Amino acid sequence: MGINLAGIIFANVGEENLPELTSKRTMASVPFGGKYRLVDFPLSNMSNSGINNVALIARSQFHSLLDHVGSGIAWDLSKRRSGLTILSPYGGHSFRHRIEAMYHLNGYFEHLSEEYILLTTSNHAANINYQDMFEYHLKNEADITLMYKNMEIPKDSVNPLVLTLGANNAVTQLLINPRIDGECPLSVGSMIMKKSLLTELVHNCMSTNSLDFRKNLLQDNVCNLKMIGYEFKGHMALVHSLADYYKENMKLMDKAVRDELSTPERPIYTKVRDDAPSRYGLTSHVKGSLVAQGCYIDGDVENCIISKGVHIGKGAKVKNCIIMQDTKIGDGATLDYVIIDKDSTIGDGKQLAGTDTYPIYITKQTTV
Amino acid sequence: MYPKQEVVAMLLAGGQGSRLGVLTKKLAKPAVPFGGKYRIIDFPLSNCINSGIEAVGVLTQYQPLLLNEYIGNGQPWDLDGMNSGVTCLSPYQAVEGAEWYSGTANAIYQNISYIERYNPEYVVILSGDHIYKMDYSEMIAFHKKHEADCTIAVIDVSLEEASRFGILNTYENGEIYEFDEKPAVPKSTNASMGIYVFNWNKLRKYLIEDENNPESDHDFGKNVLPLMLQSGERMFAYKFDGYWKDVGTIDSLWDANMDILNPHVQLDLKNICSRNRMLPPHYVGPDAEIQNSLIADGCEVNGKLEFSILFSGVKIGKGAEINSSIIMPGAVIEEGAKVLYSIVSENAHIGKGAVVGGIPEDYPNRDEWGVAVIGDGLNIGDGVKIAPKAMIDTDVEV
Repeated sequence: MGINLAGIIFANVGEENLPELTSKRTMASVPFGGKYRLVDFPLSNMSNSGINNVALIARSQFHSLLDHVGSGIAWDLSKRRSGLTILSPYGGHSFRHRIEAMYHLNGYFEHLSEEYILLTTSNHAANINYQDMFEYHLKNEADITLMYKNMEIPKDSVNPLVLTLGANNAVTQLLINPRIDGECPLSVGSMIMKKSLLTELVHNCMSTNSLDFRKNLLQDNVCNLKMIGYEFKGHMALVHSLADYYKENMKLMDKAVRDELSTPERPIYTKVRDDAPSRYGLTSHVKGSLVAQGCYIDGDVENCIISKGVHIGKGAKVKNCIIMQDTKIGDGATLDYVIIDKDSTIGDGKQLAGTDTYPIYITKQTTV
Repeated sequence: MYPKQEVVAMLLAGGQGSRLGVLTKKLAKPAVPFGGKYRIIDFPLSNCINSGIEAVGVLTQYQPLLLNEYIGNGQPWDLDGMNSGVTCLSPYQAVEGAEWYSGTANAIYQNISYIERYNPEYVVILSGDHIYKMDYSEMIAFHKKHEADCTIAVIDVSLEEASRFGILNTYENGEIYEFDEKPAVPKSTNASMGIYVFNWNKLRKYLIEDENNPESDHDFGKNVLPLMLQSGERMFAYKFDGYWKDVGTIDSLWDANMDILNPHVQLDLKNICSRNRMLPPHYVGPDAEIQNSLIADGCEVNGKLEFSILFSGVKIGKGAEINSSIIMPGAVIEEGAKVLYSIVSENAHIGKGAVVGGIPEDYPNRDEWGVAVIGDGLNIGDGVKIAPKAMIDTDVEV
């Protein structure tokens, strides 16, 4: 099965919202939900929607991203005639803006046989059927279809894009960072348009040195093009700040959210690691937690997300925490509202505590 | 023309494993789930790639569908090379006729052409029903050092156990002078592990000789190895001192699973590869209680768990109690059910308040007690009691 739609994922978009977790990695490679990286969601959604060609555009800090996606085989995106392509800056061209990146990648676009392009970012976790969105785009004969979600503007988000919708969901106005109380149609970064239109718009923007994707490519063209909104009604974790990141991860404790995010028909795939099943020791007490594989737990754990390969020592008390992969928590350590990035070590008996709105963040490879 | 491989491994995976009863009704023994996310065959396959063996022939015969599908292109074990990797070898039709594999040696004999394409120096014969981690390259180095024609891996067993095994009697340097199949009075405790290294030119010669003997059962242990010894070939025993278990019976399969949970047993699952469905992390509910257990991805645990192994996607309801049991992929244990010292197969369903198996302490007459087994996809109704030692192969309602 193949559809006439190719995917583009921008790996770095949204990093300004989450500097803590993206200081050494792309937004796309931010860990989520105990075993995933954010990029797993757009990659799996595209693969599950029958999209065969996917380009991942990464501007900087993409070492961990390359390691994670590899050939794309985990998402079934490593085929003889199609699959995943990673596009990064070359020949001294700047990829600082989405428009610049696409301009310099014109050669890639020319070689795609698909007529339509789905552009998306990698700052959300959701299970999206892009095939439905594509059919909606074709049925409405739109130039650009923008995906939105009716929600309040997240407090900390940097330059959110809000749609004003008229009859038949036609976009009459695009507002950047407006002041609106209550729910409004917030753009969530996915859009579909013809490849020919995209390359034309990119070229026009470059020729006038207008490099802001949202302002110059979208907002400035609201009157010239037929733009329509496509509402996504499902659960979507949007990550606009560290507090959001914590909150959205913790929503996974709700079975309904978990069941919606990864379904048997539309699973979320991720890189395979040969971890053994997780082992609970003789003195373990675990309640209300999500636990990935390869862990060894001998302490008390409550309301936590425990990623792959985590070790929790005897008598440790870990509550309300997100512990990322291969972190070791020593015997008798006490942690409350702490986010610990991967490969860190918390010494025996150490104590750390944050609050629900202000969790403590411990960076990658830290020893406490 | 294939690039030469110094070593080719042949993995015997065609056996029915009839002693495993309902567990092998629809699948071959090597495909039986083990250790929370593995199948038995993951152990020899992972051992091959971890020992640098890149050409592996898997001999299949009994119920091969799941096994063939599971092995697939060999990618999970890195056995998907361009000119090497894993190949499933099933019995086939030829000009001379069609023949099932009539014995372990005959199975290899029928696949001489597979081995020859790699022009190997050594052939390793492995079984698909043992749980162990072994670096075959060390055994091959031993074989080379002793300029042996055949090397057999042995493990030290207790004197009482020795009469259940094929025992190898050796000189001090490890050279074998006698095979003793299940001896009443064992002379030594070196039990054969069913792992053999042969010089290919020698093995080829004896396979053909054995094939032409109408009296032979075409079995390695019974026919080919004694024939080689009689003919004066250099045969050595290679001592292995790690964990090894033949999981051919319900009790030994249950024991080997429980050994993973035993901190005093030297069986770690590191570097064992497997093919798995992609599932989310497992969820432990607010009322769950878990001690000394192993849990795979995709499970939802809301009950009490002790000394147990949950495979991927298992659901345990509130108030359910699982003790010393093995719950295979996709099985559901409803609220308030008890599963004690049992093996529940893939996708089985245990109804509310049902009780499966029993605790040995409650059975003064130990002959009445044993591990209970529930077959694949079966439904055990609400409140049904299944006695210990039972082997269930149809749905049971009150």
